[in-house]
Amino acid sequence: MKAVILAANRSNRLSPFIETRCKPMIRIAGQYILENTICFLKEAGINDIVLVVNHQQDLVRRYFGSGKILGVNLEYVVQDELQGIGQALSLCQSSLEKKPFLLVYGDVMTDYNPFLSILQTYSEMDKEVALIALPESSKEFGNVYLDHEMKISRLVEKPKANQANYVFAGMFVLFPKIFSLLEEHQNDISQCYGQMIETSGLQASLWEKGWIDMIHPWHILEANRMLMSSWETAEIDSTARLLGQVHLEGSVRIGPNVTVESGTILKGPCYIGSNSYVGNNSLIRNYSAIGPDSIVGYGSELKNCVLFGNNDVGRLSFVGDSVLGENVKSGSGLTTVNHTVDYSRITCKSNSDSIETGLTKLGAFIGDNVSIGARHTLGPGTIVESGKIVTDNITL
Amino acid sequence: MCGISGIVHSENIGRNLFNSIRNLEYRGYDSCGMALLRQGALDLRKNVGGIDEVNSLEKLDQMQGSIGIAHTRWATHGGVTQENAHPHLSQNKQFVIVHNGIISNYQELRERMLSQGVVFESLTDTEVFVNLLEESYSNSKDIEQAFLAALEKIEGSFSIVMLSAHDPEHLYCVKKESPLLLGLGEGCNYVGSDLNAFLEYTRKAVVLDDGEYVVLGRNDYKIRKLKTREHVEKNVLHIDWDVETSKKGGYSHYMLKEIFDEPQTIRQALKIPHEQISGLALMFTEATRAYLMGVGTTYYVANISQYFFSTLANRYYPALSSDEFSVVSVESGDMVLALSQSGETYDTKSSLEYAKLHGAQTAAVVNVMGSAISMMVDQVIMQGSGPEICVVSTKAALAQTFIMLRVALELGRMRKHISQDVYQKHQRELEIFPQMVDQILNEQSGFVRNIARTTSHVEHWLFLGCGVYYPVAMESALKMKEITYQHAEGMPAGFLKHGTLSMVEPALHSLFFVPLPEQKDLHDRTLIAMEQVKARGGTVIGIMFQGDERAQSLTDQAVLLPQMSALCAPMAQMIMAQMFAYYAALDLGRNIDKPRNLAKSVTVG
Repeated sequence: MKAVILAANRSNRLSPFIETRCKPMIRIAGQYILENTICFLKEAGINDIVLVVNHQQDLVRRYFGSGKILGVNLEYVVQDELQGIGQALSLCQSSLEKKPFLLVYGDVMTDYNPFLSILQTYSEMDKEVALIALPESSKEFGNVYLDHEMKISRLVEKPKANQANYVFAGMFVLFPKIFSLLEEHQNDISQCYGQMIETSGLQASLWEKGWIDMIHPWHILEANRMLMSSWETAEIDSTARLLGQVHLEGSVRIGPNVTVESGTILKGPCYIGSNSYVGNNSLIRNYSAIGPDSIVGYGSELKNCVLFGNNDVGRLSFVGDSVLGENVKSGSGLTTVNHTVDYSRITCKSNSDSIETGLTKLGAFIGDNVSIGARHTLGPGTIVESGKIVTDNITL
Repeated sequence: MCGISGIVHSENIGRNLFNSIRNLEYRGYDSCGMALLRQGALDLRKNVGGIDEVNSLEKLDQMQGSIGIAHTRWATHGGVTQENAHPHLSQNKQFVIVHNGIISNYQELRERMLSQGVVFESLTDTEVFVNLLEESYSNSKDIEQAFLAALEKIEGSFSIVMLSAHDPEHLYCVKKESPLLLGLGEGCNYVGSDLNAFLEYTRKAVVLDDGEYVVLGRNDYKIRKLKTREHVEKNVLHIDWDVETSKKGGYSHYMLKEIFDEPQTIRQALKIPHEQISGLALMFTEATRAYLMGVGTTYYVANISQYFFSTLANRYYPALSSDEFSVVSVESGDMVLALSQSGETYDTKSSLEYAKLHGAQTAAVVNVMGSAISMMVDQVIMQGSGPEICVVSTKAALAQTFIMLRVALELGRMRKHISQDVYQKHQRELEIFPQMVDQILNEQSGFVRNIARTTSHVEHWLFLGCGVYYPVAMESALKMKEITYQHAEGMPAGFLKHGTLSMVEPALHSLFFVPLPEQKDLHDRTLIAMEQVKARGGTVIGIMFQGDERAQSLTDQAVLLPQMSALCAPMAQMIMAQMFAYYAALDLGRNIDKPRNLAKSVTVG
């Protein structure tokens, strides 16, 4: 069976990280989302993958190439105009040889392999299957109604009513007849699913493990947390250097050529990517992911954060519940304030919009290539646009 | 639901065929049987009981032959007797079949055949078909033609597998609206109601579609369409998972599958004929004293019923736990109604024996047909909820509650405590309940799961309710204890200030079952208790109805159910609490379907 991964879309809600990459190229716990998806597919026996790309496609092509490094065959299909999922899929018809195939939305992330589960339901039922999950809020998704045999009896897209159904989890086993349905419904995929439910039937496959659709920047933190929670072992590369007294606890993962200076405490699960350096007496707490080629200065504390890579965190900093894009450099004494005094819910301000996050703990989201001078304090929910330069905060 | 299996092999298949229906036991387990062709004659053994039980009587696994069929039954109508068990032989003992489904026009066929002198051993639709086969064969002398000719005469839904002494090489199979699959082995082939029939022997399967029939040989199989006789090419599927997961049909646990089965279960409970319900209600009117009895979940169902009888029929019948029934001195003229899912519950059975011994009338609501309790009582209602596999009862308990509500309503009408108009209004409310259950199951899942996620670490719970919501709270607390292993105590909300309030602090969580605001007295009393907990810093979770802002303002988190009738409201809350326990247990990684130390039916004292 072949798989189609939709990786073309650009979603502005993921700003400030989406301008310079497509969603599947977000790095979570040291691994790109797309890499994670492809590895799961390979594990489920699927080696032929069609990638639909557009926004920032060079990044994808440069990193994955023909797929050889991951042991799969990648075929690229370019969706020149971003006109939705249906249109993206319709472009893949000629690549699919009139056989059943897996459709995967490239921006969803799971902690364990969902393809084994959906393929199991497919081979048992020999019917078209949709993976379904139960997110914290179902508002953004296709809400399904299930009958007692796990067949989907109704689909309500993005409901306005107060409801919290199981939802489409962005993975399907579909038959080639989808292409004639797409034609009939002018590439409106929801209508195609709707018709399938009414006529030939759409079987649900229940996913009860972790599942996150990347919509807002804080979903990066959630996905990072979810993925790290599934780690059961610590992995330390033999070339990593832990100098003097370094204290390790839990699932700590350290890549090649990493240096950790004496007096530092690493509390797993946490991750330090290749060629990175952590200075003396630092505290790297759980759910911190430090991307490759980064520097964390002396006496810094990191907690529940994602550093995409090539980052400098100056000495005596605190980075918590925050995401730092690639090539973000900060001077000494950076503090990301991660809650309000009264622990009220935090609002995120971006693109002149403000969004209720519903979270009481949240730090800052800093876009790629930002430089922040020494001694800056960022308030909860701050978004710093890519490329911004903030000069040193000098009092005299 | 029933389980069918068939094997064509070159070697002896007795043991394998037996294992294969044993793997289908979850599809039904009130009677079973096997038929094998041995030296040109059909050997048939069948009896009443679970598969191991029948095996110990009939030695199914020691049967000899290289081709055979087997069946495990879950009776929906027709009693559980040896005659009614499958397989069924034709009169001349040359044909034998197993069947899953219903032949809807069997009565007229049966009458015609009776008039032609055919002798039937059972009352089943299946036996009609096997004799039709015999009749058709005598005309055509061709098995396949006879099979097709007989199929043309029947209507309804059916999966059938047939074996004939005239053809020792093939099984004849047909599928229409009941499931049937082929399993392809090396030098042998299989057929079954689902994959579990043959997953132990082969991983290659072919799924049949409605209106297809198969001639299944050892090395070959032919699939054709019934209507056009045209040959059908099918995909061969390679199955690579374990037997246990495939039985759950896409669900990860039986418990959730069974919860999502509830709308269907209620529909079945609505189909129980009115005469049966009124017959039971009549028994109550005739009794001097009546008692409701159950143990564990069914005891709480008895407690809920107590409130139904009181409000709808102005009658108070005490609910007793079966293991404590000896506190009652029953005598002639008294009546005992027992509730039991399995119909084999030891404590309930012993208490019924005790009641009978003292001359009381007995009745029961039971899920498993042919079970000990269903056979021993004077009147029985079969709830028809289908097999329940998860150790903790969800759909079966809900169906029992619903049936007791129907009985109470009937009694209220008989005793003229409620007017005909009110009675009919309530009937209509019951009729739309399955749809309501369907809606709340689907639309509330996420809300319930979110609350469960944030509270699964809580080790001590109070589950509180007033009036009929009090036994709902007790039953829900039991569910919580059973599958999460956390401590949950069900009690009347009014109890708090008489002692338990001293325990309240932020770590202690309270789950309130809040009545509809229109149930003013109950609602007020519940809210007072919520205020008491809130005022002392306790955490309050509520299962309540939309629009009840007063109650919602007293909660930290709430499940808001759509508006519904007061009659069905307690059952809707019961379902929400089942889901709550499920998601909490899921988060804690518990063995949900088989919680530690528990067994499905407690058949020992």
